[in-house]
Amino acid sequence: MSALGGKAAGGEGINWQGVAVGIVIIIIALGITFAFGSEGLVIPLLGIIIGGALIGFGVHFVPVGGAPAAMGQAPGIATGVAMLAAGAGLAGLFGGAWAFSATGDFLTAVLGGAVGGGMMMAITCLMVNLTYVFAMGVPAASGKVDKDPITGYSFPEYKSQGTEGHGLPFISYVGGVVGGFIAGLGGTLIYIELLLVYSAGLPVLLEASAEAVAPLAVSLAGILAIGFFLINAVLSAYNITGTIEGPHDPKFKRVPRAIIGCAVASAFCGLISILIIVAF
Amino acid sequence: MEEIVLGIGITALAGALATIAGAAEDTESDIGSQGDPNSQVQLAPQMGYIHRIFNKAISGEPPAYAAWCAIGAGVAWAFLQIGYNPALAIILGSIVAVFVQGIYCISGYLGRTASLAKFEQPVYIDIIKSLLSVTMAHAFIAIFCTVTVCYLMATVLHAQPFALPILGLLWGLALGAAGSATGNPFYGKERQYQNQNFGAGVPISASGNIVRYAEAGERSSLDNGWFTTKFAGPASGICFGLIVFLELWRTVLFETSLGGWGAIVAGIVLILIFAVINLWVEKWGRETYGPYTSEEASS
Repeated sequence: MSALGGKAAGGEGINWQGVAVGIVIIIIALGITFAFGSEGLVIPLLGIIIGGALIGFGVHFVPVGGAPAAMGQAPGIATGVAMLAAGAGLAGLFGGAWAFSATGDFLTAVLGGAVGGGMMMAITCLMVNLTYVFAMGVPAASGKVDKDPITGYSFPEYKSQGTEGHGLPFISYVGGVVGGFIAGLGGTLIYIELLLVYSAGLPVLLEASAEAVAPLAVSLAGILAIGFFLINAVLSAYNITGTIEGPHDPKFKRVPRAIIGCAVASAFCGLISILIIVAF
Repeated sequence: MEEIVLGIGITALAGALATIAGAAEDTESDIGSQGDPNSQVQLAPQMGYIHRIFNKAISGEPPAYAAWCAIGAGVAWAFLQIGYNPALAIILGSIVAVFVQGIYCISGYLGRTASLAKFEQPVYIDIIKSLLSVTMAHAFIAIFCTVTVCYLMATVLHAQPFALPILGLLWGLALGAAGSATGNPFYGKERQYQNQNFGAGVPISASGNIVRYAEAGERSSLDNGWFTTKFAGPASGICFGLIVFLELWRTVLFETSLGGWGAIVAGIVLILIFAVINLWVEKWGRETYGPYTSEEASS
């Protein structure tokens, strides 16, 4: 119950009315795209929608403790959900874009982006634990589960008095790496889809050669991919409402809502991004 | 072969510059109190604890550094386009970015502190005068090093596709994410709550009761910078340095091996190595410190 006596908002359930509206928006976006450019533009939009949903899914794995974690009052990484996930995903985007530019191979590029995001999180999570253990003398303890599902370590006796736990238990570490991996995958997928659309569409629109517009296509795809990243990461952060410990946190059950929300937002924003080359 | 050797040299230089950038970024954010621990600086006057700590967290470190590094890289790129020497262009770009940071610091401090007027927290003009130049100097180092890393990526590593300003945005955000993630707990728990027990989290009931006095007089944010450079700054530097170095290293060395899968395999191996080290660190912490005991049981 909320402070005003009404029904509590932000639970685990799904609002089916909202889902129906979201699906209609996705269908309309796909329909408009098809009307402008047949299936040649629908498939990239589908890729963008999947990429957005992947970012939303990935963000929920990242253990983020925010301000309480900075005081050792709660487990997780002591920064914001959206920003940490975006940092990991964008580091992945750099690797993925580099791989695509060098090899032109779709699969190695998206996986290269995913590994880049996972590696950024692996290093960051390790440094966080080094800080907690060696500089603060605090062992890792989850506040949401009594035992680590992977290592089997028990937590209640390792939680200091008056806190909800601290540090990064191994399950949260794995969550962080998986989250960075999935977010990097989604971001690179969006970048490649946008790049393919712009590489094909901009020469026609600007009446110039493909080589001449290549820098513009790369820059436009890159900056919009960053934008997509932030949109989906922030939407997911709203779904998480504050902090999350990783896949073992009860808040993780809210993930279907984020996937639907991010897919809808990506569909609409993807439509606008694609209209740049067909509507002018 | 020559290209790979050059790539490794650039990778090492970029890693070193990123390490300096990470250390400067975290120290700047601790002196300016920009990260998540600033919630306590904002909360303290509301709990009756008036202080002289800088307070400029309008946004988190990642978007702030993304903006500053993108501005620095964008201005540097513009100067490069009209034929300026790269070193001069990067310095001029960083100077412009650091002036934006300075304006942001002043408006951040005045705005946030003024909002605490009803809790009788004064706006200290001498804090702005004494600390602004210090945060700007650290921010300059962080922005200059990051923009230089981006310049190296843009000019020497031809296979990567992005232009300098976009690289500034990407790596500025990663810099802020790495610095805030690694450095915040040390500034928050170990410095702001230095009066609490070592080896334990801050009890939620103690929130807002930050340390406000130094050996002589009231604690200044300069003292916080001095303290956090002992661990949080270097740790953040190592974090960002490793991210930049290993991202470039795995791609430069292994991009063409195993039919294009070499960089991916190398990345997965590195992730597994870091996971094993992390597991050891967690085990070491549990075995060394042991479970918490009540005062009666331990006496």
